[in-house]
Amino acid sequence: MEESAEESMDLCCQDGVLLTSAPAAYMNYINTVGTLFIVEYLNSNRTRCIEWKPNDVTIDSEMQDQEWAMVNTVERRTRTFSETCSRSKYLKVNMIEVKSFRVSRNKQKLAFMDGKGESLCNFLFQHSNCDLLLATLKGILRTAPSRRDKHLHIILDDLQNPETQQLNKSFAELNLFQDPSDYVWGFVRNFHNKPYETAMEAFAKITDIVYRGPEHRIMDDEVHDILNRSLEAIENSTTTHTHDEYEVIAHVPKLPDRKDYPRGRPLSADQWKGLKDPEGRVEDVESVKLMIFRGGISPEIRKEVWKYLLDYYIWDNTNTQRQNLIKQRHDEYNVMKLQWRSMTHIQEDNFSDYRERKSLIEKDVKRTDRTIDYFEGDQNPNVLVLYDILMTYVMYNFDLGYVQGMSDLLSPILYLLDNEVDAFWCFVGFMNKVSSNFDMDQAGMKEQLQHLNMLLAFVEPELANYLKKHESGNMFFCFRWLLVWFKREFNMEDIMRLWEVLWTGLPCQNFHLLICIAILETEKEILMENNYGFCEILKHINDLSGNIDVATILSKAEGMYHQIIEADHLTDSVRLIIGLPILGNTVMIDSKEASPDISELASSSQGADGEEVCYERAISNSFL
Amino acid sequence: MAKTYDYLFKLLLIGDSGVGKTCVLFRFSEDAFNTTFISTIGIDFKIRTIDLDGKKIKLQIWDTAGQERFRTITTAYYRGAMGIMLVYDITNEKSFENIKNWIRNIEENASSDVEKMLLGNKCELEEKRQVSKERGEQLAVEYGIKFIETSAKASIRVEEAFFTLARDIKAKMEKKLVSHVYNDCF
Ligand SMILES: Nc1nc2c(ncn2[C@@H]2O[C@H](COP(=O)(O)OP(=O)(O)O)[C@@H](O)[C@H]2O)c(=O)[nH]1
Ligand SMILES: [Mg+2]
Repeated sequence: MEESAEESMDLCCQDGVLLTSAPAAYMNYINTVGTLFIVEYLNSNRTRCIEWKPNDVTIDSEMQDQEWAMVNTVERRTRTFSETCSRSKYLKVNMIEVKSFRVSRNKQKLAFMDGKGESLCNFLFQHSNCDLLLATLKGILRTAPSRRDKHLHIILDDLQNPETQQLNKSFAELNLFQDPSDYVWGFVRNFHNKPYETAMEAFAKITDIVYRGPEHRIMDDEVHDILNRSLEAIENSTTTHTHDEYEVIAHVPKLPDRKDYPRGRPLSADQWKGLKDPEGRVEDVESVKLMIFRGGISPEIRKEVWKYLLDYYIWDNTNTQRQNLIKQRHDEYNVMKLQWRSMTHIQEDNFSDYRERKSLIEKDVKRTDRTIDYFEGDQNPNVLVLYDILMTYVMYNFDLGYVQGMSDLLSPILYLLDNEVDAFWCFVGFMNKVSSNFDMDQAGMKEQLQHLNMLLAFVEPELANYLKKHESGNMFFCFRWLLVWFKREFNMEDIMRLWEVLWTGLPCQNFHLLICIAILETEKEILMENNYGFCEILKHINDLSGNIDVATILSKAEGMYHQIIEADHLTDSVRLIIGLPILGNTVMIDSKEASPDISELASSSQGADGEEVCYERAISNSFL
Repeated sequence: MAKTYDYLFKLLLIGDSGVGKTCVLFRFSEDAFNTTFISTIGIDFKIRTIDLDGKKIKLQIWDTAGQERFRTITTAYYRGAMGIMLVYDITNEKSFENIKNWIRNIEENASSDVEKMLLGNKCELEEKRQVSKERGEQLAVEYGIKFIETSAKASIRVEEAFFTLARDIKAKMEKKLVSHVYNDCF
């Protein structure tokens, strides 16, 4: 109470700020909208605090979407006692505790961290950004961007608080420059532009004194850190290739830094209801898709929304039109089902293509997701439904017929919809999106593997290069991922989330390839540090099944998408893959040029290359 | 790091979808049978190290998806295979007829001196048998390869099949090494 009685002034105040993370005592306020202040107490220490107070009035959720928030910079207005007495229930963090802060998501997210890098409190600026707050902070603190994470700002000192001047002191002890901290930060900044020169020029000096100085010095952790980070930066910005006897240091064009794209909330039942007009048309299809892309769909409306995403229902149909459509589709389904059901033994005996498809389906439905409750056990009726739908699909599209993998694509759809006819038409919609995966000549799969390789070479050249050198440039180890859209890598719940996001077709064509790259990037270190070869790479990738976090991978892939489209060196071949208009200034995709591994294997029926060599190599190989 | 084996043999299982390749492999590598197995997509392998006449032999056994159209991908893995198990299902005539197609496929894609062996799987399903044991033997003789009827489910002769194939590869390899030494000396 003592403190709250003190006089204080607001250095800054902003409305419409959501508290997203805070100490346990403030748990009740998480995800509540309020006002964020920076307050200076007029005591002898001039204590400054970050304070946040929840809004008194609860705001109608629909109002939140409008741009109504106002921002007021309150010029050093002196508070009176009566105004401040209720402040004890505010969230209040003394600036002394704050050692760094992080700004992300178009400056809409602001997180404050303590000296250990642990979060003190996080905010989301719902209607604007945190520019105003940052300006205020920069007016009272000296900060510097972190080298490792450009969104992170480290607080160097607060001139009025002697306790926070440790860093300055440790630099001063080096006795090197007039304003040591400025020098070091300037040095770190210069790195960005001329990493090599800057480092070479300065390192001799600094390391000499820090590491081999005449007296034994105890270095402040942060100074240590800065130097280490700078050394790291040199290593990161250059890649060493061994070429014959020479060491060639090449500069790899870098993608812009990856931004954070945290996942959104799933499309909710209320939102979905609000998106339909009174007659049942969904008007703003693009917004619906965007929401699904950002957060997926809530389980309670998934059943309905999937029918739209999979082109069974039509977005701008009225309720009446939809009822007619459903009836029509039911009739059509029953006609097709009757076609194979009424086939006589003699007809079947004389129809080998049909028999072959039928026998494949019989074998596969017995081996599809039998461990989940819905398909478990002998004589499970749902396995029969799976069979009936796939058989009817054979009659619907006899040329494609049945190909292994299709039962995997159908299973989650039937599991969710639990209705034969609905599941059939949704499956048709899904097949329309991925039918090229099942081409007789596998042209669609080969093309995707090749595109994947080209994208990887653009986003993660180091890994692409590594794979190429380890007989894996053909990306065959990703075959299963692509064929059944990661079905084998996730559990039911996660695959439903991943698929609904991918079905939106956002943010670009072939986004599923970026999902592959996001997973590969996550595994990059393991693959390369263990020096995995052809076999181990395949094994490692196959064994990832069940250990991939869907939300993390989606955020990462989204981040990569933005890195790609913002890259200065974006090539036409990459533009083509992700569906951007081409500029015509770079070479077009040439399958032979782009990826020799694949074209070589595509025509792999030329016999083994030097059987002797293979034989001997296999004997002497010591993998695993 | 010391090698934990003397030889590494790369083996391959091929045959129509559903004949039981994955189950045979699972029986050999884990000594188990699982009725809820999922169908194979793409390619995978398992490892088992066996003792053969005092030598440690590491078997790396590759399992493939059976359907015709995936062959362009799976044949890429034929290269370097030293032994191939051709598997059919004794309760499925068609899978037996297809063995000759599979052999043609091997001739086009694998090394010519690869050791081959014919397996008639699901042999415990006597009441559903469509392919007699004699026909299996006859076909094997035609191609000059060995033949065994197995059951992954009832664990019949699976172990024996892999040991036989491995022993034949080892014999062939040692013969080859000896002739190399011989040529080098004279
Ligand atoms: N009765 C019996 N069934 C088997 C045997 N081996 C495999 N199966 C069954 O045959 C089906 C196909 O087996 P799978 O190993 O997946 O075949 P793959 O496609 O050749 O790999 C599965 O339903 C297995 O349960 C066997 O020895 N006896
Ligand atoms: Mg299999």
